[in-house]
Amino acid sequence: MKRFAMASVLCLAMNAHAQTLDELKNDGALNDAYRSDNVLTYGMGYHQQRYSPLTQINAKTIKRLVPVWNLSLDNNWGEQAQPIVYNGVMYVTNARHTVAIDVGTGKQIWRHTLDWPAETPRVVCCGVSNKGAALYNGRVYRTTLDAHVLALDAKTGKEVWKSKAAEWQEGYSLTLAPLVANGVLITGISGAEYGIRGFIDGWDTETGKHLWRRHTIPARGEKGNDTWPQDNNAWEIGGGSAWITGSYDPQLDLMYWGVGNPAPWASQSRAGDNLYTSSVLALRPKTGEIVWHYQFTPNDAYDYDACWELILGELRVNGKMRKVAMQLNRNGFLYVLDRATGELISAKAYEKVNWASSVDPKTGRPVETEIAKSIRDMKATEHWPSTRGAKNWQHAAFNPKTGLLYANTMHEGRMYKHLETKPFERGQRYMYIENLPMQRAAGEPVGHIEAIDPLTAEKKWRVPLTDFQIWSAMLASGDLLFTGKHTGEFIALDAATGKQLWQFQTGSGVNAMPVTYTYKGKQYVTVLSGIGGLYWNTNREALKDKVAPGGSVWTFALLPE
Amino acid sequence: MDFRVIAGVTATGLIVFSGTALAQPAPEQIRRGADVYERNCSPCHGARMQDPQGAFDLRKFPRDERDRFVVSVTKGKNQMPPWGGLLKPEDIEALWSYVISAESIYGH
Repeated sequence: MKRFAMASVLCLAMNAHAQTLDELKNDGALNDAYRSDNVLTYGMGYHQQRYSPLTQINAKTIKRLVPVWNLSLDNNWGEQAQPIVYNGVMYVTNARHTVAIDVGTGKQIWRHTLDWPAETPRVVCCGVSNKGAALYNGRVYRTTLDAHVLALDAKTGKEVWKSKAAEWQEGYSLTLAPLVANGVLITGISGAEYGIRGFIDGWDTETGKHLWRRHTIPARGEKGNDTWPQDNNAWEIGGGSAWITGSYDPQLDLMYWGVGNPAPWASQSRAGDNLYTSSVLALRPKTGEIVWHYQFTPNDAYDYDACWELILGELRVNGKMRKVAMQLNRNGFLYVLDRATGELISAKAYEKVNWASSVDPKTGRPVETEIAKSIRDMKATEHWPSTRGAKNWQHAAFNPKTGLLYANTMHEGRMYKHLETKPFERGQRYMYIENLPMQRAAGEPVGHIEAIDPLTAEKKWRVPLTDFQIWSAMLASGDLLFTGKHTGEFIALDAATGKQLWQFQTGSGVNAMPVTYTYKGKQYVTVLSGIGGLYWNTNREALKDKVAPGGSVWTFALLPE
Repeated sequence: MDFRVIAGVTATGLIVFSGTALAQPAPEQIRRGADVYERNCSPCHGARMQDPQGAFDLRKFPRDERDRFVVSVTKGKNQMPPWGGLLKPEDIEALWSYVISAESIYGH
């Protein structure tokens, strides 16, 4: 057995360097070059569809799905990451560790441990976590809580380079998985709750040299700065994080990065649209040039951060196939944009929305209601969706065969109030709001698992959730959907009906991103378990007697018949 | 935050906790603590100490354990990071004043 393990390691060493840009492009692509053994990109493809065509594990065979190994991640902060898999090795991250695992045995190959000052979580609004690694040319890339970018040797876990993106003491932190696009390593930044000025960075993969920085808020004299007050410095402390990995279209050579909320949340000090907060930016990976932008929520007064997944797909629109980018925005509208130009194709409400009545198809701007006026007038107001959104970061999946989005959505209003803004203090919270719970009707769901038509926002089916919301990503795998619950269950649903077909109780809460892949011809499903993140932060008291922290990796496969 | 309420309550003088007479903090001390709380603590402990779903319910913090409060805030506890490097000792004292005044300010 020992000799076999040694042979495996040697075999890995030879293969590790083969990982190329072409492989990244073909990851998750439904073409001949797609290799189901690998999961190389955040979102299971540059398109971030989180879809797999694999069918061994299906609605008929799922009853034979069992855990085949579990590995502790020695971490109580929470697990949110998506694993990366290459040539039989899995790479997993959390805020503390980067771990390489033998897919066949579940044995740890190496582990790299990070340390950061104990004070760092002060500037991390929404969970001490990490969302995963990027892999390119024999190196594992990741970000650190104290705002560094790190390259490790994929064979050994040894540090190759480490570059500082920003000072954590000033409110900057990093939790996202990097993106490698057109040979450039790309990262964003977190910290809009602390009055940072957000940015997206390009790095040299070999050396860690900083190549470019695109601020998400234009400087004085740059196009777009006129959407900020000209008589104060609101633009310098105006937020605009980029805390979720962008998607990428290699043919158009455009990346799509969602930009977060403006700071402070209370809007009285920052009149104007506040570009490019609560927007999407289409960027060139080599230079960071902005090719187009679209702002979902101008002068966002609601924390309608637009960071998360912009899912790339093709949809038939008025009889013609269009290349689109789709987002279930936090503000309650489901946007479909032409991804070459940024043209708005559709924006329909997919949840209860009271701050806007619609999105004007001509201007692309939301039509705000009296509710919005009441909030801007600093009155405590019943607000739907709440600042946490109709969907938060829990990524949706898109099945290109059904043309449907599958998502864990939220049904939550809160009593929301802007407070008087006080002077900015670097490295401290810069929000100035109150956000209190309101009475709910008995039996009213807190969220749904649902299948949604991207163009109409109509629900093909909808499963109500009555206890806790789901903050795990969705995986669309053949005719199944996989996701997980804070109470620890990893579940599989029939994608056609939403009926739950299978569940397994993991050791802690699940708030991560499941993946599926093959190894030696057999299909596997992997998910991290370990309660953490924003939902835990905001529901710790309700969950503490039900589920304990503790991170681990669970991998499942079918028992032979 | 309605400081007229604070001023009104604190004008009544001493408040008795667990049989121990404690001097009611001065209004400006409570106001300073409320400012620190609103900015740094409310995201987890809830606006005005209401809705503490994310962290310990400070309305239940024992009023006779000031030292434990100060050490926890300064050095961190469980998932809470240390605040000693950011907040001055006077800020943490003010926070304590605000926390022990919650009942008299908000009636809970």
